[in-house]
This record gives sequence, C-alpha cells and structure tokens, in this order.
Amino acid sequence: MIRVAAAREGAASIWLPWFAGAPLVLCMTVMALPEIGHEHALAFRGIYALAYLLWTLPLVAVQRALQHRVAWPLTVLALLALTYLMSIANNAVALLLAVHWGAVPSYDWHWLFGGLDGCWLALIAFCAIHAVVDRYQALQAERARVLEALALARDAELRALRYQLHPHFLFNTLNAISTLIAEQRGADANRMLARLADLLRSTLERGEVNEISLAEELALTGHYLDIEKIRLGERLVLDMRVGADLLQAAVPALLLQPLVENAIRHGIAPRTAGGRLELQVERVGEWLQMRLHNNGVTSLSPAEAPSRPAIGLQNVRERLSCLYGTAHQFDFVLAANGDCTVQIAVPFRPMMAPA
Amino acid sequence: MSLRVLIVDDEPLARAGVRARLDGHADVSVMGECGDGLSALQFLQSQSPDLLFIDVEMPGLSGLEVLEALTPEQRPLTVLLTAYEQFALRAFELRALDYLLKPVDDERFADALDRARDALALRRGELPGALTSRHATRFEVRLGHRVQLVHADAIDWIEAQGDYAGLHVGAHTHLLREPLQRLSGRLDPACFARIHRSTIVRLDRVAEMQPLSNRDHLLRLRDGTVLRASRTYVDALRAALLGHGVS
Repeated sequence: MIRVAAAREGAASIWLPWFAGAPLVLCMTVMALPEIGHEHALAFRGIYALAYLLWTLPLVAVQRALQHRVAWPLTVLALLALTYLMSIANNAVALLLAVHWGAVPSYDWHWLFGGLDGCWLALIAFCAIHAVVDRYQALQAERARVLEALALARDAELRALRYQLHPHFLFNTLNAISTLIAEQRGADANRMLARLADLLRSTLERGEVNEISLAEELALTGHYLDIEKIRLGERLVLDMRVGADLLQAAVPALLLQPLVENAIRHGIAPRTAGGRLELQVERVGEWLQMRLHNNGVTSLSPAEAPSRPAIGLQNVRERLSCLYGTAHQFDFVLAANGDCTVQIAVPFRPMMAPA
Repeated sequence: MSLRVLIVDDEPLARAGVRARLDGHADVSVMGECGDGLSALQFLQSQSPDLLFIDVEMPGLSGLEVLEALTPEQRPLTVLLTAYEQFALRAFELRALDYLLKPVDDERFADALDRARDALALRRGELPGALTSRHATRFEVRLGHRVQLVHADAIDWIEAQGDYAGLHVGAHTHLLREPLQRLSGRLDPACFARIHRSTIVRLDRVAEMQPLSNRDHLLRLRDGTVLRASRTYVDALRAALLGHGVS
C-alpha cells in the first residue's frame, strides 16, 4: 500500500514535470547561439529562459485542472492560447527593457507579436512533456496497485493453505489423547497434551509469516514428532541430519510438518515392524535441498488407499508455487516396496532478521 | 530439607493440578492456596513460604504485579504459571526462578522443583544435589546375547526411551537399562550436559547453537544431527560449552 500512495503523491507533485521540462532551457540556449555577440542578446535570452521557468509552474497547475475536466482537444486549444498569451507577456517585458536600454527606438506592436518562437515553442514543448510524464506516472501507480493486489491475493491464498493444516493434525492428536485417557495412561496423555500445547504455541503464535528459519521449522517438526513418538514408541526410528551453517536459512513455515505427517501416517504407521524416517538438509550451490525418506507398505488395498490425494502433499506443492513461482523443485517418488522419497529444493537465502 | 509452598491461581482446577503434582514429592508441604492476587499479597507480607507457584493472568492483581508489590526480601523463590510466553522476559527481570507454560508438563514441573531445591540449598549454604565424585566412563549394553562395553567418550548424545537410555554412537543406538534421570547423575559434567528433559549431549560434539523465538535453542552436532535444547538448560549449557572452548 505504501508504494501506491507514494506513486499517487508523485503524480500530484508539480516539480517532477517541471524538472523534466527544465532541459528545454538548453534547447533555448542552442536556438540562441546564432545571436551571440549581438548587443544585449544574452540578456534577452536569459530573461526568456527565466520567464519560461516561472511560467511553467502555473502552466502545470492549469494543465492538470483542464486534463480532468474537459475533453483533450479543448485542453490542447486552451493550452495553445494560454502559452501564446504567456509569450506575449514575455515580449512585453522584453520590449520595455529594450526601450529602456535604447536597443529599439520606440514601442512598436510588431515587436510584441514577432519572434515568439523562442518562448511559445518552448512552452508548447513543455506541455507535451508534462502530458507524457503524467501519463507515465499514472501507469506506474496502476502497475504498483496491480502488484499490490497480486501480493494480497497470494497472502490470502497462503493463509488459507496454512489453515488447512492446523485442524488436520489437531483432531488426530486430540483423538490420540482421548485414547490414552481411556486406556488409563494418564502420564502419557499428559505428556502428549504438553507436546500439543508446544506445537500449537509455535504454529498459532507465528502469525502471518510465510517463511521462518530452518531452525524454527525443525523445532516445530520436532514438537510434532514428539507426539508421534508417544503414539508409535519403538516403531518410529528418526534420523535428522543438517549441513553446516544452514540453521538460519529461510524456509516456508510448516513445510516439513505435513510431509512428515504423511510419511508417518501412510508409510510407517501401517507397518507392523515400524520404520525409519530420514530427513537430510544440504546446501547445493544456490539451493537449499531437503530430502525426506521413509519406509512404507507395499500394496495398499483400494479400501486403504487414501481416497483424496494426501492433503499435505498437495498443500506443500501449492505453497511452493505460490512462494517461489518456478524457482523451486518438488519431487515425490514412491518405490515398488512402498518406500517413499520427497525431495524439495528452494532458493538458499539466510533469514534477514533473527527469528 | 523441606520446601514450604504457596499456590496462587484463580482457577480451582489449576490449583488442584499443582497440588496433585506436588503430592508425589515427600520433601514438599503446601502451606496454603490463594485464589487471587490481593490475598496472595497479604499472605506473603505476613508469612514467608520457600517456594511460590503463581499464575500470571488473574483478575485484579496479576502474578507479576504481586511480585512487583513485594520487596525483594519478601519475594520467595517463584515459579510463574502462564499460557503465554511473552511474560518470560518480565519474569526474569523479577528474578523468577522459572516459568511453566500451561498445560503444565510433568517433567518440566519436576525440573522447576529441582531448580527450587538447588536454589534453596544454596540459600541455606548447603551443597546442591548429592555429588558423586566418581563418574561413569564405561557402560554395559546388551547386544543380543553378548554384553558390550560403550565408552563415554564414544557417545555423541543420549536420549530417554522410557526406562531405558538410548546411547547414540555414530549411526548406532545402544539401549542401556537405566532411566535418563539416574544416568545423568553418573556422567562427568565437564563432558556431558543435559539439554532437554529427555536429552543429554556430549559437549565436544556440539558444532552450532541457534536460538529460537521461544528462547529454546536448536543444536547441531558435528555429524549433522539436530537436537532441541529447552530454555531451562540453555544457560548452564552455554557456560559448559564456554568452559569447553566451544563458542
């Protein structure tokens, strides 16, 4: 919003077109070159230049006022007439001075209406420049508004995608807690409640950020894994490895959690023997590469197969496109034995402010 | 040594929860309960419990306001209870011993109580904890039918797994039949540090330490393993790392 306001303000500023038109003084100087050496020529040309610079200020105001109120042919005619009158006024002042300095014998209306080119053409040219500058500024403001709208739409979309995630694991966990209570496992239920609170605190209090540091994301994923560890116990083996100096790298918030949840719910939990979940984060050139690998089950009967494509995967895909456009990689490979690998690459950049 | 405790919370259920958790500790006696800040303030101005569990968000006087209204001498060791993390900073300014987030975690509660015991022992001029002079350097772990010895300096980190402790040595995890709580007392504090209610790390394996927004930290070991350190242990860990020459 700030950028748009600034652009509008720019459109209302008198000085930009005035500065844009200032180089016309140079043109006036060039036109005056043949007269150099003539008596008082320099003084007269100087007066014309100064008059031009002064006239352009009210001219900007008049042109702006006309532009929005009357049709453009009328505006053109009115401006031509106005600039003509201004040029006459210039000549009148010049004539007074010329008589005063004795450069001309007497007042003569020929002097008044002759040789207007130096002033009038310059003022006409200025009006043209002003029109172009204004048009350009309006376009810029419009473009900024469009970008702003796009950014807002994208924010809303990301927010909606984030909200898809919360209830999903919240209710699963509440269900697990209620099971623990029913089984009289009070201490485990308590532990899981505390973990759930950690998780909610770290996700809900995060507010409206789309990217967080890898350290925060891993901690958040860790809270979720704590809950799953209580449920699965020995059956879940974890191996998380991160390369050096990557903890400050920016990653989309809640990127890993849904992927890890998928890996556990559809891969490891259905296995009687449990399984391994490996997460590797490395830097490869300008990319931050995350690789998640888990054991799975070979054949899902149609009844067991997830009826909808796993919500987490879809969500992650959409958010990556939203945040990075085409500058990302997302691969999902399901091997014949049920093992599953997700590989993601996003541009490597450290978080600006410490999280 | 006994701990005399005052519990302050406007919710009866929350007070009952603190009381129930204290019941398991023989050296703790509850002096009283208050349901609001003002009566707590009056209680504390006339009597001096060793330890105070007080809720932050209460109608009328908040837990923090109660502490502010007392002189530093009148303030007992204090553990704040709150649902929000943003009071942490103010809590430490008021020299609170610890703050517990609701819903209260059993292990974290026990940690806070241990802290209180140590602080009280220092106040009374005793040495905290039962210091054992001999530190374990080798551990016997079962590997199928054989018994294998694991040397302390081979261990990267240790993880609580119920009644067992998982000793992580490279890619292997050896299970030791000993709860983490008891094992932590047998380790050399110059080499090992507790970083979490369920994690102990060998100091010379720590490569990076990254603070998180909630004052917890994330550690990265030299082999890339990532571990979480909760704020309760961070200060002691940092001191131990400095003593160890790791920044």
